[in-house]
Amino acid sequence: MNKIKFMLRVGFCMVGASIVLSAIASDDLKSDEEARVVQSSGKQLYYDHGCFACHGYNGIGKHNLANDVSAIMTSEAVYLAFIRARSELNPPLPSQKMPHYPASSLSDQQALDIYAYIKTFRDTPPKVDDAPALKAIVEAAQQ
Amino acid sequence: MTSKESGIVSGKTPSEAGVELEAERGGISRRGFIGASVAGGASTVLPAVAFGVENSVTETSRPASTPPDAKKMAREVGSSSPPEPLATVRRAASDLMVQVLRDLEIEYVALNPGSSFEGLQESLINYGERPNHMPEVISAMHEGAAVDMAHGYGRSEGKPMCALLQGTVGLQNASMAIYQAYHGHTPMIILAGNDENNFLKVHTGEDIAGLVRPYTKWDAQPKTLEDTLVALQEAYRQSITPPCAPTLVVLNSEIQKEEAGDLQVPRYSAPVVRSIGKSQATIIAKALLQAKNPHISVGRLRSQAGIDHAVTLAELVGASVDSMATFGPMSFPQRHPLVGVGQDKNYDFHLGLEIAAADVSITGPHLKSITDRDAAGIGFGWKENPNLKRRPIPDTLIAEDAEASLPLIINAIESQLTASLNSVIVERIEKHSEKNRSARINSLHKAIEKKRPGWHGTPVSLARMYAELWPMIKDLDWCLASPSNFTGRHHRELWDHDKPYSYLGQYPAAALGYCLGASAGAALAARSRDRIVINIQGDGDFNFMPGTVWSAVHHQLPMLTIMHNNRAWHMELMYVQYMAGVRGRGTDRAHIGTTFRDPYINYAKLAEGYGMKSEGPISDPDEMVAALQRGVDAVKRGEPYLIDVLTQPR
Repeated sequence: MNKIKFMLRVGFCMVGASIVLSAIASDDLKSDEEARVVQSSGKQLYYDHGCFACHGYNGIGKHNLANDVSAIMTSEAVYLAFIRARSELNPPLPSQKMPHYPASSLSDQQALDIYAYIKTFRDTPPKVDDAPALKAIVEAAQQ
Repeated sequence: MTSKESGIVSGKTPSEAGVELEAERGGISRRGFIGASVAGGASTVLPAVAFGVENSVTETSRPASTPPDAKKMAREVGSSSPPEPLATVRRAASDLMVQVLRDLEIEYVALNPGSSFEGLQESLINYGERPNHMPEVISAMHEGAAVDMAHGYGRSEGKPMCALLQGTVGLQNASMAIYQAYHGHTPMIILAGNDENNFLKVHTGEDIAGLVRPYTKWDAQPKTLEDTLVALQEAYRQSITPPCAPTLVVLNSEIQKEEAGDLQVPRYSAPVVRSIGKSQATIIAKALLQAKNPHISVGRLRSQAGIDHAVTLAELVGASVDSMATFGPMSFPQRHPLVGVGQDKNYDFHLGLEIAAADVSITGPHLKSITDRDAAGIGFGWKENPNLKRRPIPDTLIAEDAEASLPLIINAIESQLTASLNSVIVERIEKHSEKNRSARINSLHKAIEKKRPGWHGTPVSLARMYAELWPMIKDLDWCLASPSNFTGRHHRELWDHDKPYSYLGQYPAAALGYCLGASAGAALAARSRDRIVINIQGDGDFNFMPGTVWSAVHHQLPMLTIMHNNRAWHMELMYVQYMAGVRGRGTDRAHIGTTFRDPYINYAKLAEGYGMKSEGPISDPDEMVAALQRGVDAVKRGEPYLIDVLTQPR
């Protein structure tokens, strides 16, 4: 059983990698206006599909997305392959926690709009010295 | 629940007679009648048309209604009367019941008024040189809230408060809260009035205690005043004797109204809590003293005295300590220098106090050991799941109360301690302290790295909420009464939990609706102790019994409620999302039945309606900081305050 799972994983990765390579170039083709429309649509979809539940409203949550920290967000192709995994590649890979989406519930275009919106997430955490509350806590512990 | 609902009329007042007359004529509609009755007071019945209530509705605009009969009318407006007047009593039986509670230093009785305990309620508010004090009547908007208040108080103080309930209906309303307190091993006394003779039969029963018997520790349904007084004392004794739990006394309404005559309150004798034997204490003491690196794990004890003894023991033998203070009440002070893994994790003697340990564990009896109260075999909460891997019970477990055993162990150590041993111990304490301090700073830095992301985000990060609040309260006497499992548990790393009541722990039965009432109960304890209560309140939980906000205002409770307003029953939202994902049906409808949308709820306005000072909704974290300071200032003055904060989901 483990061997089968391993082979499926390898196969999944190979398919994913080939899609990645073919899709890399397309990321930069959108105009600024197109990008704005896509992000606006993505924002609504991000809310409607409840992505905020685990990823927060700004990409900081149970599983962080802001600042491009997620390997899943490397490219549109990897991202698409990931969210389709459970519904279209059985048995479920690679995660059993993230809901997976068939095209019937979330079209490629909708999924890519969400992708574009997530890509806008930026987070600038303060240094401890710049956050008075955190600084006070650390100083109290050091006394 | 009240006489208003009885539908039984006895001793009609002039206004009631008028009601029947008008009703029989069929000339007054229901709404018109109610308006007239309320406006007219007890002695005057005005015709409904005077208010024009129905005048704007034409005959053809809706079907004519059939007037209710006289009996229904009387029920509708609460014109049915209490039972016939009683003979004047010289010394009321219920006064003696209050005296028993007063002698036991019961501070509060929370109640929602009912028709089976007016005798006791009248005594509570009028009896004695200082009426309505020790105990004081606390108005609750729901029986569940009354029990939750007693629950929060019990967890905070380690001793019982009372909840007074109305017969079968009040007891059933409260049943979930009782169940939660039972699983929390929380001492409390539940009093249920029972009127077998005069009122609503559906509010009575042959054995109403049976409604909650599987999840109460002890109950009695006494038939005489003398037995009632004894039962109240026994309910207290049983409640505080390990395993601590709610107990129940059913109070016959007629007994409450009796003449007590010369009957005296019986003498109360405190419970004898079982401890380990002297020989066992000597063996444990020897093992602790001979060990080169002893370690003590401390779970939930019962009182400040128990905690003080645990600290004494650790310091006497120089043991490093595990504390559960960030998981619940009554454990070892979190920031004591000995708390941590110490200089070396290789412990050669590990003692557990109310928690499992490698070598010897002293853990008092568990409620699971009470097996004769679940006659129907329902198995509330104790059924073992064969699929779950549980830790095996250690061979070295001693099933006696740890707190009662500590003085014996300390005595044995003091008698065995030598000067040379003591110098070794002092040196070990210094090493432990230094190591634990550096470990604490390291772990704090790691924790803060996880708190910084999302710091400036909107809605507000829960980590920031906890972090910003701490400098404002750290020099006050505070209690975090709200469970934190839905708000990220950030207090565990950021705050210092050094009091028995610093954190009251999670939902014992994982049932919502507890948080607001329990926080109010903790605030009842805090009110007379110059303490404040922090309640970081989930919105889903809040909406079970929001009327408790009014109770907090009415009784001027020092409770700062900060709404964790994520506009959802969020855990369930994620469950439904996951299920939809597994089934490949998308998550765009997962919000149905799991969220508060259309409309959003404005908690500041809701609180304002109940009379509580409030502000919000706030989604800007900088605005939240200023609001938190205003809230802390208010509760320091003894005023409850609510801040509605729009938050990240977790």
